[in-house]
Amino acid sequence: MIRKDRIYEDLSLILKRARVVFYVLGGLLALILGYYWKVQILDHQKYWQLAESNRLRERVLSAPRGVITDRNGKFILADNAAGFKVSIIRENIKDFEASYRNISHLLGIDEADLKARIEKYGSVAAFQPIVVKDNLTTEEVSRIEARKLEFPELEVEIEPKRSYPFGVSAAHVLGYVQELSPEDFKVGAAGKRHWGDMAGKTGIERQYDDVLTGEDGRLLEIVDSLGRSRGEMARVEPRQGKSLRLALDYDLQKKAEEILQGKEGTIVALDPKTGEVLALASFPTYDPNKFISRFTPEEWLSLVNDPAYPLENRAIRGVYSPGSIFKIVMATAGLDSGFVDGQTAYFCGGALEIYGNVFSCWFKPGHGMMNLTNGIKNSCNVYFYNLGRRMGIEPIASYAKLMGLGRKTGIDIPGEKDGLVPDPEWKLKTFKTAWYRGETISVSIGQGPLLVTPLQIADMVACVANRGVCVVPRLVPPENGKEKSGKTAVPIKRETFETIIQGMWMSVNDGGTGRGARVEGFDVCGKTGSTQWISTERAEKLQQQGKEIKKTHSWFAGFAPRSDPRLVVTVLVEFGGSGGATSAPLAGRIFDLYRKKYDR
Amino acid sequence: MIDRGAFHEIDWVLIGLLIVNSVIGVIFIYSSSHFLPGNYAMKQVIFIVVSLAFLFLCLAVDYKVLMTYSLYFYLAVTAVLAGLLVFARLVAHTKSWIKLPFFQVQPSELAKIALILLLAQIFSEYKKSTLSSNVGIQAILLVLGPFILVAAQPDLGTALTFIPVLLAAFILAGLRKKTIAILLVVSLAAGLVGWNFALKDYQKKRLTTLFYPSQDPKGAGYHILQSKIAIGSGGLTGKGFLKGSQSQLRFLPARHTDFIFSVIGEEFGFLGVLLVMLTYFLLLARMFLSVGMARDRAGVYIIFMASMLIAFQFVVNVLMIIGLFPVTGVPLPLLSYGGSSLVSNALAVGLVVNVRMRRFANA
Repeated sequence: MIRKDRIYEDLSLILKRARVVFYVLGGLLALILGYYWKVQILDHQKYWQLAESNRLRERVLSAPRGVITDRNGKFILADNAAGFKVSIIRENIKDFEASYRNISHLLGIDEADLKARIEKYGSVAAFQPIVVKDNLTTEEVSRIEARKLEFPELEVEIEPKRSYPFGVSAAHVLGYVQELSPEDFKVGAAGKRHWGDMAGKTGIERQYDDVLTGEDGRLLEIVDSLGRSRGEMARVEPRQGKSLRLALDYDLQKKAEEILQGKEGTIVALDPKTGEVLALASFPTYDPNKFISRFTPEEWLSLVNDPAYPLENRAIRGVYSPGSIFKIVMATAGLDSGFVDGQTAYFCGGALEIYGNVFSCWFKPGHGMMNLTNGIKNSCNVYFYNLGRRMGIEPIASYAKLMGLGRKTGIDIPGEKDGLVPDPEWKLKTFKTAWYRGETISVSIGQGPLLVTPLQIADMVACVANRGVCVVPRLVPPENGKEKSGKTAVPIKRETFETIIQGMWMSVNDGGTGRGARVEGFDVCGKTGSTQWISTERAEKLQQQGKEIKKTHSWFAGFAPRSDPRLVVTVLVEFGGSGGATSAPLAGRIFDLYRKKYDR
Repeated sequence: MIDRGAFHEIDWVLIGLLIVNSVIGVIFIYSSSHFLPGNYAMKQVIFIVVSLAFLFLCLAVDYKVLMTYSLYFYLAVTAVLAGLLVFARLVAHTKSWIKLPFFQVQPSELAKIALILLLAQIFSEYKKSTLSSNVGIQAILLVLGPFILVAAQPDLGTALTFIPVLLAAFILAGLRKKTIAILLVVSLAAGLVGWNFALKDYQKKRLTTLFYPSQDPKGAGYHILQSKIAIGSGGLTGKGFLKGSQSQLRFLPARHTDFIFSVIGEEFGFLGVLLVMLTYFLLLARMFLSVGMARDRAGVYIIFMASMLIAFQFVVNVLMIIGLFPVTGVPLPLLSYGGSSLVSNALAVGLVVNVRMRRFANA
C-alpha cells in the first residue's frame, strides 16, 4: 500500500522516543502492581483488622419543626414533643423467622409487613438500624425496654414529633403534617428530605413548610462488632426550623370556636388596616395531632366520610350565596356609578312584579318608601330589585369584582376557592345560553349563580371599612419592609362608602336587621344575610303542605368602630336561620370581646 | 474530507477496549452508589453512549483538518475558562462547571483536547532533533494560560493533566540534558512559589498528609487511610461484589468518582486489581503502539500526547488511592463516574483511531 510517488517523512527518531516512554510506563505499572501486592497480600491482615474495627454508623438526627405561636407569642399553637421509634438491627438477629414472629407479636404489627420492610432494606449494612415502628406509646416503650434482653435486635430512639397543644383549636389555620408519600418524591416535592420525614400538608404547615422545616443533623458513630456505639466520629447538630408568629389573637380565636361549638359554620376576624387575620374558625373541626399519631382505619373513614366535612376549611373553601350581604356591593355600584343617589326612593309593598314574575320582599307587609340607607338598614329586597333592574348585570359584576369577589383573596394558606361573579360572558361560556334579565334580579339580592367564600366577604367588608383600600388577608404578618403590604386603593368615591357605612351603622344601631350585633359604645356597622335555598313562594307552598323546609344559611358581616375601623367580623352559620336572628348576635360577642380586651 | 476507504481502517480493537474499560467502570459505579439516590450507573451508561457518539463524530473529520482549526478551538475554550472564573457560581467549591438545563459541562476537560491539537499543529512543523528554547517557551506559554485558569477554579487535578500533554510534546521533540535541568529548576521554583503563594491550605495539607497519613486520621489523611484500608482488606480475592464494608458503609469518600479503583480492590482483591490493570494496560499499549501507524509527524504527536494524557491520569489515580500521590482529584479515566471526563477521554482515544485509520490517505 505504500505509494512510491509520495515522500514519507523520516519519523524513526520520534517513534523511538515514543516507544521508550511506553516501556518506561510499562515498568512503572509493574512497580505499582508490586506495591498493590504488598498492601493487599503481604499487609492484608493489618488492613483487615483496621476495616473490622473501623466501622461507622450514620444516624439522622431529626430537626424539630419551628414553633407556631399566636400574635403575642403567648400561646404555642404548634410545638414539638418527644416521640419514640423502634428499629431493628439485623446483625443481632440469630434466627430471622423466629425474630419476625416474636417482634410482630411484641409490637402488634403484621409479620408479613415486617418482613417486607426489612427485605426492602436488604442492601443496607446489617448494623444500620431499620425503623419498624414509630410514634410508640409510653406503654409500648416500656414493654420493649422490659424485654430488652430477649430482643437484642431492637433499639428504641427518641425523635421530635409535631404536637398541637390545643388539639382541634385553629386546626384549619395550622393545617397538619404528614409523612412524605412516595408520590411526593416522584414529583420532586420532597426536596432534600428523606423517606419518613414529616412535611406540612395543609394550612400554615404547608404554606410555610420551608421556613418551619429545620435542617436534620447527622451523627457518625463508630460501632463494634455487636453494633454497640464505641464513640462518635462526627456530629452535626440538627437545626430547628424558624418559629412563626401568627396574626391570630388566641382569645378571639377561642371565643370564635366556643361560639361555633355544635354548629356548622365559620367565623373570620380581620384587622382591616393590615389584613391580619385575628381569628379564623371553621366548624366542625378535627384534631391535627391524629395525623401524626396515626388514625385507626375507622377514625380515618369516619373523618373523610363525615357529611359535615370537618377537614374542609369553610372560611376559604366553603362557597355560598352571599344573600343580602351582597346588597353592600349593589349599593356601592348604584351610588358610585350614579344610577341612584342618597335620596332616590322606591316603594316596597312586600313584592314587586318584574318582567312578568313576582319577586317578594322578606317582609311581607312591605317597608313602604325606602331610600338607599334605609334599604340597607332594613335589607329591603324590593329596593334592590329596582336598583338591579336599573343597572343591569354588567356594572353589578364589575363592582363585585372590583371589591374582591370572584377571585382568591390571596391569604397565605393553600386551597382557597375563587367563588363566582356571574355575567353574560360567563353564562355564554358555561351554559352556551344568553343571560336572562330575570337573573339580574336574583343576583341583586345575592342569589342566583353568585358564590362567595366567607373570607372574601370579610375582605370585601374590610375594603368598605377602609373607605376603598383593599387589603390581602394575612395569617403571618409580613416582616417589616420585607414584603409589600398588599394594599390597593379601588377607584370608588369616598362619599359612596360613607353612605353605605351609614346604612350599615343603622342596620346595627338603629333597629335594623343587624341589631343583634350591637355593642354599647363600639359603633358596629354591619349587614345581615340569609341565603334561600328555594324561592319564598315554593317554601310557602311546602309549608302549607306540612313539609319540613331547610332553614337558610345565616350571614353577618360587619366592622367596628365606625370612624376608625380596627376589626372586621364575618359569621356564617349553615342552616342557621335568618342572619339577624342567628349570626348577628354571634358577631356581637366577638366585637364585645375585642372591645373589652383592646379598648380603654 | 470523509474518506470511505479510511472507514475500513477503524481500529475496532481499540474502541472495543475503550468500551470494556467503561463497562467495568459502570459495574463499580453501581457497586459504590446503588444505595444512593441519583442512579449514577444508569447515567454513566448514557454518558458512554454520548461519548461514543462524539468519538465517531471526531472520526468523520481528518485530524489534519481538525488541526487547522485548533487555534480557534483553543482560543474559544480559553475564553470560556476565563468567563467561568468571572461568571460561574461555585459547584462543590469550584468554578469548574457550566450549568445547562439537564446537565453540567466541565470545559476544562475539553481544554485537554484543544491543547493536544494545537501542540500537534505547532510541533508537526518542528523537525530538529532536539527542542529549541524558542518553540519550548512558546508551547509552555500556550499551556500556561488554560493551566492557570483551571488551577484558579480551583481544580488543580485537571490543571495538572495538561502537563503530561506538554511533556509528551517535549519528549518527542527531544530533550537535551541541559533542557531537562532547566525544566527541573523551573518547576522546582514554580513549586516553591506555588507552595508559598498559590496553594490553598487544604492543598498543602494533602501534600503533607501524603507523607504522614496517620497523623490526622479524621482530617485530611482520612481519605487516603480509608482508601488504603479498603484496598488492603480486600486481600487476594476480595470481599465479593456489593460486599465491601468500606465502600458499602460509605466509609470511602468519592467512591464512584476518584476512588472507584479502591472499590475494585476491596471487592475483588488483588486478582481484580490485576485484571483491571491488565485490561487497562492493553488499552494503553494499543494506543501507544499506534504511533507506528501514523502517516506523518503530526499523527505521531497526536497519538503520543493522547496516550500520555490517559496514562498519566491512570498512573496518578492508582498511586493516589493507595497513598503514593497527593489527593488531587484526578479521576480514573474511563472508569470513574462523570460525563465530561468520559467525553474528553473518549475523544482522546478517538484522535488515536482517527490518525490510525488515515495512514494511507493523501494529505
